[in-house]
Amino acid sequence: MNEIVCVSGVELLMDYLEGVLPADLRAALDEHVAGCARCAAFVKSYLETPRILREATAATLPADLEASLKAFLRARTTAFRSA
Amino acid sequence: MVVPTVEPSDETLAARAAAGDDSAFEAIVRRYQARVFRLACRLTSDTDAPDILQETFLQLYRHLPSFRGESQFRTWLYRIASNAALMHRRARARRPAESLDVFLPRFDANGKHAATPAELQVASRADELLDRQLLAEKAREVMARLPDLYRDAFVLRDLEEMSTADVAQALGVEPATVRQRVHRARLMLRGYLSDLAGVKP
Repeated sequence: MNEIVCVSGVELLMDYLEGVLPADLRAALDEHVAGCARCAAFVKSYLETPRILREATAATLPADLEASLKAFLRARTTAFRSA
Repeated sequence: MVVPTVEPSDETLAARAAAGDDSAFEAIVRRYQARVFRLACRLTSDTDAPDILQETFLQLYRHLPSFRGESQFRTWLYRIASNAALMHRRARARRPAESLDVFLPRFDANGKHAATPAELQVASRADELLDRQLLAEKAREVMARLPDLYRDAFVLRDLEEMSTADVAQALGVEPATVRQRVHRARLMLRGYLSDLAGVKP
């Protein structure tokens, strides 16, 4: 028997999402989450976490850093000599 | 008539650069500099990222002749960048970060979530509930607090959106290890977002 409670469900979540969980555990987890409002809410927030952090940490390269990278590489390699 | 130009693949450029074609190396730098910078910011900090950016492309230049194409070029480049970040962190000998364990989910004696569904869901709306600027600052802070091993795996897997297999290759660990580290990071970060959005753990 694969009795899933919230705590064991959380531990299986990553493997579930990555498709590496055995079929019986997968089915047991599906069944638990379908009947557990807490886990359904938890899974939703777990899935959104990467996106929120991705958007919040999307730094852009400042133009002055691009120029200093070019100068750095020009000084230490044979690249960017003609530019 | 405009003839569409096909951009050469990373692997084609890498082979040309390895053979001494500087214009191919320059094209690789132009193609990847913004992405490597963003990666470096995520792996370290805005302050350290410029050094890591330079170091990564210098190492790339030196090691290109040994690129065998056994992994994707991007995976290989990100491995170089991750190592540069690691060296940088060692040189800095940072203080151990305050643990994020407090943000892990909590369960009652029966193994049931201690929080209510409404509380559990709040993290998924953190970006709607919080000011964008504040969230960006807090995100940088919390990334710095993640244990290094978790951060590297989470950044490559979830922020750079590489496959688990590619992350495993870039970090030189088993896919199962990547999954375990990414999972722990997601749990901590989820709890952190929840806390930021007003639900105390």
